[in-house]
Amino acid sequence: MNDALIWIYDDCLNPHSPALQKYLNHPAVYVFDEEVLLNISLKRIAFVYECLLEIPAIQIRKGVVSLELIAAMHENNCQRIITIASIAPHFKQIVVALRQRNIEVEILPAPTFVNLSSGDLQQLDLKRFSRYWQQVKRQAMSLKESLC
Amino acid sequence: MKLRTDFIERNELHDYLHENFPQAAARSPEISEIRGGRQAAEKLLARIDPVKYSKTRNYLDGAITRLSPYLRHGVLTLDEVRVSALQRAGKAAEKLVNELGWRDYWQRVYQQIGDGVWKDRESYKTGFRLADYALKLPDDIHTGKTGLACLDAFSHELRATGFLHNHVRMWVASYIVHWRQVRWQAGASWFLEHLLDGDPASNNLSWQWVASTFSTKPYFFNRENIDQFTDGKFCRQCPLNTQGCPFDASYDELQQRLFPNMNADNFTGGRR
Repeated sequence: MNDALIWIYDDCLNPHSPALQKYLNHPAVYVFDEEVLLNISLKRIAFVYECLLEIPAIQIRKGVVSLELIAAMHENNCQRIITIASIAPHFKQIVVALRQRNIEVEILPAPTFVNLSSGDLQQLDLKRFSRYWQQVKRQAMSLKESLC
Repeated sequence: MKLRTDFIERNELHDYLHENFPQAAARSPEISEIRGGRQAAEKLLARIDPVKYSKTRNYLDGAITRLSPYLRHGVLTLDEVRVSALQRAGKAAEKLVNELGWRDYWQRVYQQIGDGVWKDRESYKTGFRLADYALKLPDDIHTGKTGLACLDAFSHELRATGFLHNHVRMWVASYIVHWRQVRWQAGASWFLEHLLDGDPASNNLSWQWVASTFSTKPYFFNRENIDQFTDGKFCRQCPLNTQGCPFDASYDELQQRLFPNMNADNFTGGRR
């Protein structure tokens, strides 16, 4: 049953993303945001487009992202949206717009560089890179910490 | 609006993009030779050389990975590159892993401050007031007509390829903010328009690092630094080779010239 639409966002154009692996054979959609398009060059669009074309059965659209996603949901008979988390404020705004229209959005965690405990995460000092690196270096340099 | 996905040739896709993204095409119609997609990313990942990277990464012809456009769009993950580097080189991969850490660091700061990446994190530590900096990027910079062979070549490269070596980004940013006294936001927007790896976190916060609004000192460079890491290729063809090069001075002299109101030991010259 294709009840879930996979929303591909700019920060995870990997054809093996956790969303595409978890929801095999579900329709996947990417939307070029018409507002973002005002500020980027054609070569950036081309690069993203080429990444998208390697995602099986991808559907590509442009317009207002939330509205295009809803249109894609209707066309594909989907009741909810699955995506990968992004820290971009732009992403969060779109999720809010979807939820305001009572669309269910499931957000899967994004892959991480190092796997910090919630305690370490809270104490992470981001004032300068050198402080951050001191705190994550041991894990970053260890193969045991790999999430793969 | 639905867009096509059934392209056989790369040229066919590019013609389609010109037609369907007319505003972007009118502004800057170039298409990069750098190809998007996981296949291209995996080819590059197979070629990384963490040991050579650590020794040569500051040189324009050094063994840099060129993975940043793929990392920015999550085509590859930082963890995949980290693991690959460690498997190949063990502890000798530290410099490369450290640079991956910079991206993670910028992302974590972005997570905390969101659109605050567009605001000065701290005040400029250059001895100038914010009002001393221009808001707009001068035309001669983005059209590549400053008359400086290096800067003009970098400007054309950005427009043509959507990629710049990290050292070049630092030189360009420093030139714009410290030699031309333009606010970093103007340069950061220009980079974001063109860079295939452009994202507000790494891009803007790196500009702020150069500007000194997210670091303790401004970053600047001199001719010797460009000469060393480019094998002199720009200086040899530059009309200002023999006189008039604004970078041709010692760091002490440049500091006096660029930041006459600044404390004596507050600067970052040369490499990061």
